[in-house]
Amino acid sequence: MNVLKKPILLVILDILTLVLVPAAVVLVVFFTPVEAVMGPVQKVFYFHVSAAWAGMLCFIIGAVTGGAYLLTRRLHWDWLSTSSIEVGLVFALIAILSGMIWARPIWNTWWVWDPRLTTTAIMTLVYLAYFILRSGLNTQETRARLGAVYAIVAVLTVPLTFFSIRLFRTIHPVVIATGGGDGPAFNMSPRMLTALFASLFVFTLMLIDLVWHRYRLAQLQYETSPEVN
Amino acid sequence: MAANPTPYAAHIDIGGLSKRFQHRPVLNGLSLTLNDGDLCILVGDNGAGKTTLLRILAGLVRPSQGEVSVCGSSPIGNPRIRRMIGYVGHQPMVYQDLTARENLVHYARLYGLAKGEEVVADAIAAFNMAGYQHQPVRTLSRGMQQRLSLARATLHNPAILLFDEPHTGLDQEAAAFFDQSLRRLNQPGRIILLAAHRPQRLLTVATHVAWLREGAISDHLPVTALGSAPLLNSYLQEVS
Amino acid sequence: MTGVLAYLAAVWQVFRKDIQVEWRGRQGIPVMLVFALMIVFLFNFALQLSPDLQAGLAAGLLWVSLAFASTLGLNRSISLERENNALDGLLLAPVDRSAVFFGKALGNFCFTSLVGLLLLPIVSLFYQQNLLRLPLAAVLLLGVAAYTSLGTLLSALSIQARTRDILLPVLLFPLALPILIAAVEATRGLLSGQTLAELSSWVYLILAGALLFNAAGLLFFEIILEE
Repeated sequence: MNVLKKPILLVILDILTLVLVPAAVVLVVFFTPVEAVMGPVQKVFYFHVSAAWAGMLCFIIGAVTGGAYLLTRRLHWDWLSTSSIEVGLVFALIAILSGMIWARPIWNTWWVWDPRLTTTAIMTLVYLAYFILRSGLNTQETRARLGAVYAIVAVLTVPLTFFSIRLFRTIHPVVIATGGGDGPAFNMSPRMLTALFASLFVFTLMLIDLVWHRYRLAQLQYETSPEVN
Repeated sequence: MAANPTPYAAHIDIGGLSKRFQHRPVLNGLSLTLNDGDLCILVGDNGAGKTTLLRILAGLVRPSQGEVSVCGSSPIGNPRIRRMIGYVGHQPMVYQDLTARENLVHYARLYGLAKGEEVVADAIAAFNMAGYQHQPVRTLSRGMQQRLSLARATLHNPAILLFDEPHTGLDQEAAAFFDQSLRRLNQPGRIILLAAHRPQRLLTVATHVAWLREGAISDHLPVTALGSAPLLNSYLQEVS
Repeated sequence: MTGVLAYLAAVWQVFRKDIQVEWRGRQGIPVMLVFALMIVFLFNFALQLSPDLQAGLAAGLLWVSLAFASTLGLNRSISLERENNALDGLLLAPVDRSAVFFGKALGNFCFTSLVGLLLLPIVSLFYQQNLLRLPLAAVLLLGVAAYTSLGTLLSALSIQARTRDILLPVLLFPLALPILIAAVEATRGLLSGQTLAELSSWVYLILAGALLFNAAGLLFFEIILEE
């Protein structure tokens, strides 16, 4: 099989993502109502939540595919694992930055040491360390094996971050309100909900697209110059 | 030492073994069978994969492909097989700050040997270490550390003994002592596989020679039949 | 049954050997203790702490100095096994390799706890806070157990890297942060008069960490160390 040839499914996914991401922006900017208390800055929320969701999903995929590597010892799983974590790290950073943009006018500060923000920062640091670990290891097999173990241990920070607003007192809003949690919950209008779900969907597509491209990059790197990998 | 080290028949069977590091095959479809009583010298250039092969047999390295059977089971993650293996590597695998005796007692306990003290005392006598058994390892010469390493690897009377370049760094006297120990260790019920870059002096002790090159065993024959392998013979001349 | 006993005997022997080496060389505990004290003093001037320290600061001081000092012990413990390739000797032993993990983790736990327990009267003395309380010692031991079991696991990763001498803290601190935060919160609560029952959510978080990291050691130690 020629690995240089781009799979047709990936081409379709590329086109879909390229069309839907601007569409989501249009939807959020023009379709959703301006929130009464917070004003237009609230619109950051749709992409903030989506980026956080995409990041966490990537880290979970990274751990699951890491486990698959340990079971099968096939490098493909490692490419998928490390690609997911790399893309996940970018999404996590987007979530943090977009959160800061929202926090500046609403909380009057870029950053507070709130449980949700703290656990998110910890999660990001943990995954930064993942790349520091890998860069210090000599062979592909070692990187894959130790990277997989680390990815599985590191994924513990994902539930910790997700449930932090339910476990601890926090000023961070609870989006997926299921009874518990002390934080203020959003009362979203149907239009807001539609936009939120649309952007979650678009970000998930974008995640798959990016991970797929990153995976292909790892694959091509391996095929063309295995020695330097 | 007991004549028959274990109730299992000593046997090694390797088929189609490959090990890749960085996409580069170190071992490539290697096959080798060793039987009870064999003392096989593994020859080959530096970097031919001798160490990798020994470490796979010892259960320290996981093969990429192929079948490895030591006394009937795979050594990967298998404590029962590890019990039957003695491995002498490049490094003595002992603690610098402990004395020679303390190191041996540590290994005796780690292997759960009944009458550990007795076994250690026997080993110290067998390898002539009584004079320095209470000295910290860091004060011992290379030759002394080598004896300690031999004692460590044979404490549990293993059925399989693996040696990796045991003559490296030894002076004449220490090398002679090693050859003498090797003769003593070579007994029925045991397989000894010894990797050596310059095997010449061992050919009088060994029963077999195996030549590892390009990731596989190209020749494996009894020492008495060496005459029938001109290529191996000229290689042995060349490296001696 | 004999299998379980042999396993426990191996755990005990790895631990016992570490104690023996430490006793012979005395290169772990004294170094960690002195380093922890230096951090305590450094903080004193860096943060201009007053002798009548608030509960929160004393708790933070204790855990930060202990966490830093502990990495020295963790590094020392694993580099001991690298010298002369002694680690291979342990891996050759006829026991499941997780026994090596538990033996090493037990040693690290004992060394760091000892330093932590010695720090309690010292911090009490310098900052007019009574840290010599039984619940506080319990939190200390639990926190150290979680921290050192994670540290032992990660030290087996870090020794395989080119950057092995500096890698451990970089891997350990982010993953240990939730545990350290919980330990600081629990210690702070105890110092400001709360009971352990009131602080149970922090204690449970530390306990969960200790259990998960030990489970990870049980599952992954063999995978980490086989080439």
